[in-house]
Amino acid sequence: MSQFIIGIDLGTTNSALAYAQESEVTLFPVPQLANPGEVSEFDLLPSSLYLPGEKEFVEGALALPWNAQPSYIAGRFARLRGVENAGRLVSSAKSWLSHQAADPTQALLPLNAPEGVPKVSALEASRQYLLHLRSAWDHAHPDAKLAQQTVLITVPASFDAAARDLTQRAAKLAGYPEVTIIEEPQAAFYAWLERNPNWRELVKPGDLILVVDIGGGTTDFTLISVTDKGGELQLERIAVGDHLLLGGDNMDLAVARFAEQQFADKGTKLDALQFHSLWQQCRTAKETLLADGAPASHPLTILGRGSGLVGGTIKGKIARDEVRQLIVEGFFPSVPADAAPQRNRRVALAEVGLNYAADAAVTKHLAQFLRNAGNAKPTHLLLNGGVLQASAIEHRLFEVLNSWQPNPVVELKNASKQADLMHAVAHGAAYYGIARAGKGVRIRGGVPRTYYVGIESSLPSVPGLPAPMKALTVVPFGLEEGSKVELPQRKFALVVGEPAEFRFFSSVSRRTDAAGVLLDEISDSLEELAPIEVFLPPHTDGTREEIVPVTLETYVTETGMLELWCVAADNRRWKLEFNVREKAAQA
Amino acid sequence: MSRISAAFSSFFAILFSGVLPESVASEFGYTKAKPVAAPPPEPPKIKVTDGALQILQTLQRDSRLIDFLMEDITAYSDDQVGAAVRSVHADSKASLARHVTLTPVIDGVEGTNHKLDASKAPDPNRIKLIGNVPASGKVPGGTLRHRGWQATSVNLPPIGKQDVNVLAPAEIEIE
Repeated sequence: MSQFIIGIDLGTTNSALAYAQESEVTLFPVPQLANPGEVSEFDLLPSSLYLPGEKEFVEGALALPWNAQPSYIAGRFARLRGVENAGRLVSSAKSWLSHQAADPTQALLPLNAPEGVPKVSALEASRQYLLHLRSAWDHAHPDAKLAQQTVLITVPASFDAAARDLTQRAAKLAGYPEVTIIEEPQAAFYAWLERNPNWRELVKPGDLILVVDIGGGTTDFTLISVTDKGGELQLERIAVGDHLLLGGDNMDLAVARFAEQQFADKGTKLDALQFHSLWQQCRTAKETLLADGAPASHPLTILGRGSGLVGGTIKGKIARDEVRQLIVEGFFPSVPADAAPQRNRRVALAEVGLNYAADAAVTKHLAQFLRNAGNAKPTHLLLNGGVLQASAIEHRLFEVLNSWQPNPVVELKNASKQADLMHAVAHGAAYYGIARAGKGVRIRGGVPRTYYVGIESSLPSVPGLPAPMKALTVVPFGLEEGSKVELPQRKFALVVGEPAEFRFFSSVSRRTDAAGVLLDEISDSLEELAPIEVFLPPHTDGTREEIVPVTLETYVTETGMLELWCVAADNRRWKLEFNVREKAAQA
Repeated sequence: MSRISAAFSSFFAILFSGVLPESVASEFGYTKAKPVAAPPPEPPKIKVTDGALQILQTLQRDSRLIDFLMEDITAYSDDQVGAAVRSVHADSKASLARHVTLTPVIDGVEGTNHKLDASKAPDPNRIKLIGNVPASGKVPGGTLRHRGWQATSVNLPPIGKQDVNVLAPAEIEIE
C-alpha cells in the first residue's frame, strides 16, 4: 500500500509535483541547480535540459544532492545557461512527443546543436525531467521512495494514443511504477473540485462546463457535462479539442518581438542575452498591462553589455494599448460563432520543426471546437493557466462566448492565490489519485477520440492510383477505463515471421461511430496517426504455420492507456505497438 | 555464554554461514579484522575571505552589481543612471534575499523613543550610542535613529573547486 499519491504536471515549459498523504494536497518544492554549485528549491522545475560540454563547468559545479556528476542539467540553471548557449539546450520536448513528422525516440534535439554535441530524443528529455523529479523525491523521502507510491502524470487532453504511450514509456524508463495518465483540463477541474467541497451546490444537472487550459506551449479545450444518476450528480467529459501548439510562451514572445522591433527602429540590435532579459520584462509588462486598472505603459530597460552597464543602458517602454492589441486582439479576437481557424499550410518540403498552430486566434479554435461538439452551449467556464490570470483576456473570453449563445456563461473560480494557476494541474492530478482510491468524485470520460484502422478496399485497383482505403472503427468515442471491445466480424490474415502494419486514424469530431462501423472513405475529419504494427514470431518448435487469421480486440486499461490486440482462434494474442519511427518516415 | 551453547551456535553458524558468530568470537578474545576505511578526502582549504568573495561573485552574477559600482558614472544623466539602477536594485535585492535573511536589530519606529536597560552599558555590537553620551555609557533610552541590520541566517552554497578570486569570468561570444 503506498503512503503517498503523487501528481506530476509534466509541462511543456514547467513541471511540478504535488502529493497527497490523506486528503490534503501539498506542492513539493523541487531542489535543482540554480547556478553552478548552488542547489535551491523551487516550486516549478523548468522543463529545460542542458547538455553540458566536458570542460564547460568547474569540477563538481553541477553536483546534485543525489548525483555527484550528472550528465545533464535539468531545470532552472539549464534554462539560464541555455540562453547563453542555445545549441546545447533542449526545450519543448513535450511538443515533440506528439509530433506528426519527427520520431520522438530518435536523438534529434537540440535541433540546431553544433556538430559534436551528442543529441537526445524527446523521449529521453522527458525521461530526464521525470528522473530529476523522482531522484529529488527519493532524496527527500528515503523511506517512501517514489517507485512504491501511486503516481499520476498529466498529458494534454489532445494527446493521441501514441503520445500517451510515450509519456508512460518515459516514466517507466525513469524508474516509475505503473503510472496513471490524466488529462490536464480534467486535472484542472479536479483542482477546482478539491477547493470547492460544496461543488454540488454550484452546478446542477444539465450544466455543461467548458474548461479552457492555456499552458506554456499548448491550449486545450474540454467539455464536462453534469448529469443526474439516481439522485447523485455525475460528471462526464464529453469532448476534447484538437492538439493546439499555442500557449502563453507564444504570447510573451509576440510582445517581446514587438518590443525588440521598437528597439531596432531606434537603432539598437539586441543580442540573445539582452533579448532574453527583454522577454522576461515583457512577461511582467504583459501581466501588469492586462490587469484591471493597468497603467498606460510599462518601462523596459536593456542594460548595457560588457562592463559598461550604465553607459550602455537603453530605455524603452511598451504601452497598454499595444499589448492589448497584440494579445487580446491577436490571440483572442472577437469572432462570430461560425469562425474557423486557418488551415495548416501544407508545404511539400517543410523543414522538420514544431507544427505551431497555423492560426493564433484561440477564439477561432474555440468556436470550431464547440461546433464540432454538436454546437455545444456551455453554461460554465473554468479557466486554467498563467495567461488567463490577465483580466483583459478573461473578459474577452466571456464576451466572445456570450456573443455566441443566448445565456451568459458563469465563471468557476479556481484559484485563490495568483501563483496557484501554475500548480493547479499537479494539484488536481494528486486529487484525482484520491478520487480513484474511492474518496472523491470522479469524472467519467473514457477515450476522448474515435480510433480507426485503415482497410484496403477489395475494389480492382486503378493503375497509378493507390487502392482506396476504408476505415474500421476499432475504438468508439468514450470507451471507458477497464473496458474492452471485440471485433469478431472482421478477420485479418497475419503472416508469421513478417511484421504486419495497420494504418491508424483518429477523430475528435466523429463521436457516434460504434465499434465495427466501416467508413467508406478517409475523410478530412480523420487524422492519420503513426501506424501500428504487430509481429508474429515464427514457431520455435518448427511447426509450419504461415498465415494466422486473427480478429482485433481493444482495451482501455485502468490507467487510461489504449491497447490493441490481435487474437487468433486458439486464443493466442499479440499486442499491436505504436510505431513512431514509421510516422517520421512518412512525413 | 555457556560452553555448550557456544559450541552449538558456533557449529551451526559455521555450517550455514561459514562465519564464527561475533558473540562467540568476542567470548574467546578473537577480534574481527575490520576493513580499513579509506582516509576521508581532504576538505578543500577555505580561506576566511572566500565567503566575502563569494557574495560579491553572486551579486555580480545575479545583478551585475560590480559592473555598476566599478563604472565611472559621472558623465551620465540622472535619467540614464536611474534607468540602470532600477534593474540593478531589483536584482541585487532578490539575490541578497535568497542568500541572507536580513532583519533590523531593533524592530522599532525610527524617530521615536526607545527604552534601554539603564543598569548596564548596551552591547556595542548591537547598539551604538550617539550624541550626548554620558561617561558611564549607561542610559535609560534615547531616540531610535537607525534600526540597524543583522543577518539572521546565511544560506550560501558550499564552495567547491571554483576560483573565488574571479568574480565574473570574461565572456567571449562565438559569432
